[in-house]
Amino acid sequence: MSDSTIQHHEERRDVTFRVHRFNPQVDSKPYFDDYTIKLERGITVLRAINYIKEHVDSTLTFRAFCQAGICGSCAMRINNMSKLACTTQVWDELEKAREPGVIKIEPLRNLPHIKDLVVEMDPLVGKMQKYSNWVDSKMPESNWGKKEFLVSEEEFLAYDKATDCILCASCVSECTILRAHKEYVSPAVLLKSYRMNVDSRDSMHDKRLADLVQDHGVWDCTHCYRCQETCVKNIPIMDAIHGIREDAIERRGTKDTSGARHAEAFMEDIEKKGKLVEATLPIRTNGLAWTMKNLLPMAVKMVIKRRTPPPPPLVKASKGIDALRKEFREMTSHVGKDHEKKSGE
Amino acid sequence: MKLFDIVIVGGGGAGLYAAMEAMKTNPGLNIAVISKIYPNRSHTSAAQGGANAALANKAKDDTVEMHIFDTIKGSDYLADQDAVEVLCSEAPKIIRELDNMGTPWSRMDDKTIAQRPFGGAGRPRCCYCADKTGHTILQTLYEQCLRKGVIFFNEYFALDLSVDGSSSRGLIAMNIKTGKIEAFPAKTVIFATGGYAKMYWNRSSNAAGNTGDGQAITYRAGIPLKDMEFVQFHPTGLRKSGLLVTEGARGEGGYLTNALGERFMKRYAPEKMELGPRDLVSRSLETEILEGRGFDSPAGSFLHLDLRHLGADLIKSRLPQIREMCMYFEGVDPIDEPVPVRPTAHYSMGGIDTDNFGRTVMQGVYAAGECGCVSVHGANRLGGNSLLDILVFGRIAGRAAAEECQKFNPSAISEAELTEKEQELRSFMRPQGHYERYGALREELGHTLGMNVGIFREASKIRQGIADIESLKERFQHVRVFDTGDIYNTNLTQVLELKNMLDLAETVAAGALVREESRGSHTRTDFPTRDDEKWHKHTVYTIEGKHPKLGYKPVTMGRYELQERTY
Ligand SMILES: Cc1cc2nc3c(=O)[nH]c(=O)nc-3n(C[C@H](O)[C@H](O)[C@H](O)COP(=O)(O)OP(=O)(O)OC[C@H]3O[C@@H](n4cnc5c(N)ncnc54)[C@H](O)[C@@H]3O)c2cc1C
Ligand code: SF4
Ligand code: SF4
Ligand code: FES
Repeated sequence: MSDSTIQHHEERRDVTFRVHRFNPQVDSKPYFDDYTIKLERGITVLRAINYIKEHVDSTLTFRAFCQAGICGSCAMRINNMSKLACTTQVWDELEKAREPGVIKIEPLRNLPHIKDLVVEMDPLVGKMQKYSNWVDSKMPESNWGKKEFLVSEEEFLAYDKATDCILCASCVSECTILRAHKEYVSPAVLLKSYRMNVDSRDSMHDKRLADLVQDHGVWDCTHCYRCQETCVKNIPIMDAIHGIREDAIERRGTKDTSGARHAEAFMEDIEKKGKLVEATLPIRTNGLAWTMKNLLPMAVKMVIKRRTPPPPPLVKASKGIDALRKEFREMTSHVGKDHEKKSGE
Repeated sequence: MKLFDIVIVGGGGAGLYAAMEAMKTNPGLNIAVISKIYPNRSHTSAAQGGANAALANKAKDDTVEMHIFDTIKGSDYLADQDAVEVLCSEAPKIIRELDNMGTPWSRMDDKTIAQRPFGGAGRPRCCYCADKTGHTILQTLYEQCLRKGVIFFNEYFALDLSVDGSSSRGLIAMNIKTGKIEAFPAKTVIFATGGYAKMYWNRSSNAAGNTGDGQAITYRAGIPLKDMEFVQFHPTGLRKSGLLVTEGARGEGGYLTNALGERFMKRYAPEKMELGPRDLVSRSLETEILEGRGFDSPAGSFLHLDLRHLGADLIKSRLPQIREMCMYFEGVDPIDEPVPVRPTAHYSMGGIDTDNFGRTVMQGVYAAGECGCVSVHGANRLGGNSLLDILVFGRIAGRAAAEECQKFNPSAISEAELTEKEQELRSFMRPQGHYERYGALREELGHTLGMNVGIFREASKIRQGIADIESLKERFQHVRVFDTGDIYNTNLTQVLELKNMLDLAETVAAGALVREESRGSHTRTDFPTRDDEKWHKHTVYTIEGKHPKLGYKPVTMGRYELQERTY
């Protein structure tokens, strides 16, 4: 028979939510409350904690608004990962739970705590202001409304993805540098800054860029990729960070900060000395993985831009350098060929 | 706090445009925006489709005049024609202005702003940015307000107007982060607090906070509301949450089926089937449910939107967002299972009665956006006209307030009034006589509205609805706020929102009962046709004692005579 005889079947089970509680008015320190409720499959974490608030404990406090993954209100840490409660299925989280049947819920990190799952968003807004996260139109305001700018599809695509950001602050919560330095610009603000800087209608690119290369700016990022892995809208945040850095080196050279100088030294090693000298590399201080992710792509791009044929890295083999050398060869192999072609013409 | 020239309540598209325009009109003014959530989170961000403007980028022969006609016809001739003229002739300007300040728009090959076809429009004139138009408009306006240094009071909950006879002294609001009740003395107050369709609760596509706060505040202050009975329903909301599955799913060939496995649209629109007009499809789904051919579940009866026959490839390539939504919010993968859907309350046409400049009858009080009713949507708004409405009339209200504020000299808001307000809120926290849980009341309100004042209306059912609302209001007196703290007390704010919804629900039901005709979104099974002789007029509600008193206002006509509305 057809659908009609099949009753809609839903799996049900008990689920425990272990929720971070803290009300500064009465509590001296934070603690966890366990709430166990019976739920059916298909319920989101937000619906579950809404249920708890309505039926079990009305003092439980969190933000939520659209319930549809659009407004960015409901970001919280669920099983040690920052994400939106309204787009997270309880059943999926049960699979990730460390303790069977228990889902842990905590507030976002790296922003001042207000109560239970609510954190202060003003610092983020403050940084948006500090880094001029707005288009400063090339058109004087008195002319607005008369004529539209002509913008190619290509120009639009440059910032399209970045404008998906809903300022939920999940990436902010997971950022490694922010853990240590609260003044750090923040991944979402870098993303927005980049979005403004590639908009052909904007007029304050240079000022914004000058701000971004100062202390706590774009060079402080460790390239840990945590923000990008966290982003609830799957925005390639690292492309924005790379984009700002390349732009900075191109337009401002390497005078700005030690981060830029690192990249420069690394490149010089390759270009001028024709080899990688371990001592000048930040491998020892930052680790091999860091160097590979952070400096290698940048150096390769610089080399490619300058069209210098990359000499083979000649270094006394150490374990770390070996891997780096291999990676470098692969990444630059086509540049040599291109160059040969060019000079042969 | 010192006296403000303009206090804007609401940080959605309407509020932010008002703020920008007011600063532009007179940069020397002391302006504040108060919002119960961070402005960028406002419900304007939920609008995906786009905003209408006769730019004629796509259809070269499109004109403002055609846009005007489509809007008036769409409204079932209840819109005021002079207001519609303002809306449509300002439209191209406002879209270009948004572009000039940095709003991302999808583009056509010739680099101009892209436009797509939309329901009820004779030409493709809906300007969009992928499927995130509202979001990008709101982001841009927020960014521009930060650029201009607009002062924001974020996470402040507006409670009431302070009224002195027939004029306003300003606003009373609660700082959510501290719980403190604060006065915002102001020469002018602009309400831009969004719609009230959330009163249908689980049967609504709206955000949790679209509770009609501004409408309720002004109504309590003696300002009239207008056309409250007109609430638009969208055919395919997800069963559990009411969230929208956009029309694209049916456009790609999705079927609507009932518990008998029938494609039931063959009964209602044998030719167009699933692609009939929005209100007709909504009524068809509702009929199937009422006649017992739906599926039962703890979350209520529902029908199936079946996409399985489209195949995994098509679903993944053309409907990725819809698939994601079904998985996130319903736990159902449309590749393997049909999606549970039912009609959902979507938009409120009614609101605070204003003139074409956003002025209300009270001196110094303005309204704009979905919370206002100018009226440009009449009995039914067209897709893509609401974003336009909030931008155009947000801007007009901002300018009007900036130009007029110097005329007003409001008296001071007394400490006593604040203390009284504080005590009123505290009273919900007293255990004696307070035992009701707001969650239950909220759900019952949504349920009775959906059942009795929903898509199909009829005198006996509406009377039932009115009785239910009355008894819910009675029970509300006993609602308990269990969280007795000051800091970020969402238990308290949700109770206050419930109070607002209850007050407004009464006006919606009262209007539905008196309007003995069917027009636009308002369908009376006992009066199935439009009755222009008796009902070609606006309903107006003022509070008298505790209940609404009804009055009427003529519709402003213009070039377009009454016609039957057929598509
Ligand atoms: C799912 C969905 C899709 C839609 N798609 C479209 C579309 O494609 N095209 C279109 O034209 N329209 C669309 N609409 C309608 C349109 O989005 C809304 O009508 C419009 O965005 C309302 O804007 P607003 O500025 O009036 O209010 P909102 O954006 O709702 O903003 C209200 C503001 O008021 C504040 N506020 C409310 N109460 C208080 C209080 N008590 N104290 C302090 N502040 C308060 C809030 O914080 C918020 O900032 C859609 C609506 C929905 C629900
Ligand atoms: S990559 Fe940079 S911005 Fe992103 S989380 Fe790591 S340190 Fe933070
Ligand atoms: S970048 Fe992604 S994670 Fe970060 S705030 Fe924006 S949407 Fe959220
Ligand atoms: S409630 Fe809006 S993103 Fe979750």
